[in-house]
Amino acid sequence: MTALTPVTQWLTQTVWLAPCYGLIGALMTLPWATGTIRRTGPRPAAYINLLMTVLAAVHGGWLFREFWGQEAQYLTFHWLSVADFDLSFVLELSPLSLGAMELVTGMSLIAQVYALGYLEKDWGLARFFAMMGFFEAAMSGLAISDSLLLSYCLLEMLTLSTYLIVGFWYAQPLAVTGARDAFLTKRVGDILLLMGMVALSTFSGSLNFSDLAEWAQTAQLADWQAGLLAIALIAGPTGKCAQFPLHLWLDEAMEGPNPASLMRNSIVVACGAFVLIKLAPVLALSPLGSAIPIALGSMTAIGASLVAIAQIDIKRALSHTTSAYLGLVFIAVGLQQTDVALLLLLTHAIAKTTLFTSIGGVILNTSTQDMTQMGGLWSKMPASTMAFVVGSMGMVALLPLGAFWAMERWLSEPAMPGWSITIVLLVNGLTALNLTRVFGLVFGGSTQPKTRRAPEVTWPMAVPIVSSIVLTLLVPLMLEQWQLLLTRVGALQFPVSETIALIASAAIGATIGISIYSFGAVARPVTLPLPALQDLLSYDFYIDRIYRLTIVWVVGAAARATAWVDRYVIDGLVNLVGVATLFGGEGLKYSTSGRSQGYVLVVLISVSTMVVLAGWSLAQLWF
Amino acid sequence: MLLSLLVWIPVVGALAIALWPGEVNATRARQAAILNWIGLVVVTGAIIGQFDPNTQQIELVESFSWIDRLGLSYSLGIDGLSFPLVVLNTLLVGIAIFSTNEAISRPRFYYSLMLLLTSGVYGAFLAQDLLLFFLFYELELIPLYFLIAIWGGVRRGYAATKFLIYTALSGILILAAFLGLAGSTGFASFSYDRLRDFAIAQASAPDSLLPIATQLLLLALILVGFGIKIPLVPLHTWLPDAHVEASTPISVLLAGVLLKLGTYGLIRFGLGLFPEAWSQIAPLLAAWAVVSVLYGSFAAISEGLANGDMKRLVAYSSVGHMGFILLAVAAATPVSLMGAEFQMVAHGLISGLLFLLVGIVYKKVGTRQLSALSGLFNPQRGLPVIGSLMVLGVMASSGIPGMAGFIAEFLIFRGSFPAYPVHTLLCMLGTGLTAVYFLILLNQSFFGRLTERVANLPSVSWLDRAPAIALSIPIALFGLQPSWLAYWSESVTTALAVSTRISP
Repeated sequence: MTALTPVTQWLTQTVWLAPCYGLIGALMTLPWATGTIRRTGPRPAAYINLLMTVLAAVHGGWLFREFWGQEAQYLTFHWLSVADFDLSFVLELSPLSLGAMELVTGMSLIAQVYALGYLEKDWGLARFFAMMGFFEAAMSGLAISDSLLLSYCLLEMLTLSTYLIVGFWYAQPLAVTGARDAFLTKRVGDILLLMGMVALSTFSGSLNFSDLAEWAQTAQLADWQAGLLAIALIAGPTGKCAQFPLHLWLDEAMEGPNPASLMRNSIVVACGAFVLIKLAPVLALSPLGSAIPIALGSMTAIGASLVAIAQIDIKRALSHTTSAYLGLVFIAVGLQQTDVALLLLLTHAIAKTTLFTSIGGVILNTSTQDMTQMGGLWSKMPASTMAFVVGSMGMVALLPLGAFWAMERWLSEPAMPGWSITIVLLVNGLTALNLTRVFGLVFGGSTQPKTRRAPEVTWPMAVPIVSSIVLTLLVPLMLEQWQLLLTRVGALQFPVSETIALIASAAIGATIGISIYSFGAVARPVTLPLPALQDLLSYDFYIDRIYRLTIVWVVGAAARATAWVDRYVIDGLVNLVGVATLFGGEGLKYSTSGRSQGYVLVVLISVSTMVVLAGWSLAQLWF
Repeated sequence: MLLSLLVWIPVVGALAIALWPGEVNATRARQAAILNWIGLVVVTGAIIGQFDPNTQQIELVESFSWIDRLGLSYSLGIDGLSFPLVVLNTLLVGIAIFSTNEAISRPRFYYSLMLLLTSGVYGAFLAQDLLLFFLFYELELIPLYFLIAIWGGVRRGYAATKFLIYTALSGILILAAFLGLAGSTGFASFSYDRLRDFAIAQASAPDSLLPIATQLLLLALILVGFGIKIPLVPLHTWLPDAHVEASTPISVLLAGVLLKLGTYGLIRFGLGLFPEAWSQIAPLLAAWAVVSVLYGSFAAISEGLANGDMKRLVAYSSVGHMGFILLAVAAATPVSLMGAEFQMVAHGLISGLLFLLVGIVYKKVGTRQLSALSGLFNPQRGLPVIGSLMVLGVMASSGIPGMAGFIAEFLIFRGSFPAYPVHTLLCMLGTGLTAVYFLILLNQSFFGRLTERVANLPSVSWLDRAPAIALSIPIALFGLQPSWLAYWSESVTTALAVSTRISP
């Protein structure tokens, strides 16, 4: 490794600051967020956070540049040691982790500038920025964390901040239930992950990813142990990545403000996958470690792609595609194709950001999320339209933008089995259909009352929109520049037939979408021949009802049973004893006769009984 | 000398406040109590300065015989097990005094009782003689009974009597166990040190000195006795009633330190004096912990689902969280015992915070019923700062990292897992359930729209907020820097674990 300049050395030693900037920003926002400072309005809080994010981006960016092509460095911080048990946090400085951190801070910057415009008139602006700072801190930390314990802590921080951000408009009932469900479904995953972590720490003695990888080489675990461990460790990322069966929250989380939805759909979901990738060596201990991600990922990829098409809420239509793409990532991780997974995460994150910057303006200026009330916005909001088109192109493999390269990489990988290619093609085609559908409903067609007077967004939102358009267009160049496609040996092959299939799948999907939703080939609203199937998809496989009938019911029933026992059995018994003594006393009152012989007799009998009992028990003790 | 000061300063203060010849109004009595507390802070500071955490010996010992014929000696000392709890007591007593209603009725009696209670708690944590411990343990009962019975809610009479009967029973059982132990060992002494040496000798040569059946009998008495105090299911029913009826500062003390007397006693006198019997019944205790944790959690959930009393919900959460400590003590590994100590402090801080906040809501809104509350987050007319602190408190209690609750629970689970994997996993469900009931509480009371009924609340002054903020600082601090707490107790918890070998 080449010698580092003093500045770089200092920045390296203080890399832990990078996640702290967001946290510091969040703390400094508190006086405004809690309403202690009212005079200045909430804007200063927003500026402080923006400044902190810029600092984090500069700090991380410098290190990213310096560490490019260098070997990874690890910084260890001892946190707590009890007896021979040591807990430490390890930070990894490598091109990958620093690049991921840079992506987080970059997206956070885009989202925060965007929020300035989106929440301009919202009185909770300062609170929102505080939470965004918190959010950003957790994710930047995750990017550079090399310890499962630290990653777990940060995942929990994410769970908490998701709860607070989704519940941002806490006076709306849907936002409140959305926040609750987001917290609890993620928490289910987190608790299972915690169980896995406790077990793993007992077995391996360390929770650092590098130590774990080493331990996994020689670990001797029974099959059932390794299997359970794999299930527990996968559960956490499953919740974070909104994979079946813990995916409900992402849909409901769309009740929150759009800048946060942007973060959530692009990088928060990626954080879970990032942890899963880091855990890959441990998961390899059990066949379940690859079978479960593949199974869950496949189900989610296909299911969520279909569900997305049945949504009429603009944000939900996009958020289900997030689940679908993360499903692909899960499959890739299950197949041990980490590079493909990372590539998908990167291209998806950037394309999704562009899509969400676009629809945020639409939601703000039409005051609705219902696509059936929209239409004809292409001429009113040209920049947003442009962003949607470019974002869509980055999402599907039609033109050689982002996702094309990731999927191409997938197809050209000899280790990828045939069925996985089918799933990729399917997801690609369905997503193309869905995005053209959304485009037709929102931007195409004729205007409706809600869209007639919708203006283009103001500059604080236009700047992030344009930047993310540019970013999306630059993705192929970045991939080329940083040689992200060449992590495998040799140049990227273009398997001709697969490439044609890939482009064809997107083209077919897009053609169907355009012909139905832009040219009206079928009468709208489209009804499927099976109404039950249509309902099944539009209600997301009734997953909320499944929850209610299973886990929610079980917990509720247990709670009611406990309350009953508490009230009637335990407390009832206690009160019964109390009442009995009272009545006993009342009853005895009438036995007072006034004759002293009687009293003496009672005293004598009692005392001698006690003496005998005491003597007997003491005798037991001593002899 | 220092330790005696801790015990006797509040007694002197209580007498002064109670017997002062002139007119003493509420403000004056409060000032006197605060002055007394400052004295305690100074003494506690001196103890922190003199305490050496690197030894497992009892430190700052003061001992002279009191009643020779009984074997009773006045002997105080402090070690890594009691040290954090003594400091916690100083902190929480201050919080309780500061959060007392300034215009409280019968102020002289109130503050005297509170100081007597303080003295009793210090004494119990510091006593190095079993009989002396019992005296302080009983002494603390009486003021608490009056504090609930006089300044409590509507059903205070019922709650106070229930509390008194339960805890008096607890005291009797413990006394019986102490008498049995001292009698059967033949020592005419109740000195903890000598009995502990005896216990260690006993553990190295099983069944030689005391038959195991006798040990088990005595340990059972101790378990039930302290089990009432902790409280463990099904001995817990006094707790929700006492909390619901007690006023806010009393609830803070009750949850914050008085319950810790139970777990402290369990570790010191159960685990410490009966290592051999302990290892035999440890699996049962772990199962008992699971029952307690899940029962407390489900009871709290049902209280939340029924839109009941916030305070009762928090009280049931205490039952669940104290159950974790039993699990840790049952496993008795160095890591789990460290976790138990951590959980005692963390739970003291967190439940203290939660009761304070519930108290503020009650004071401002006039009700604690979840069904009547809504939208308190409202920045203009609601309680936004209290709401933010409440989020912090419930998240700390749910074991969100970055706060003291997480590391305590993590150490407990990690330490207990090798000994009792299944029990540990079941207890971890309790952590998940904590989030369920606290989210119900938050969503119901702070989220949503502010209803007409609770609109136009009186504003919360910084004086109201200060105690809550003072409690949230150590919660975050120990969550981020757990070694600052572990430092004080590690050598003692490790030594305790080593003397008790539990075969998994």
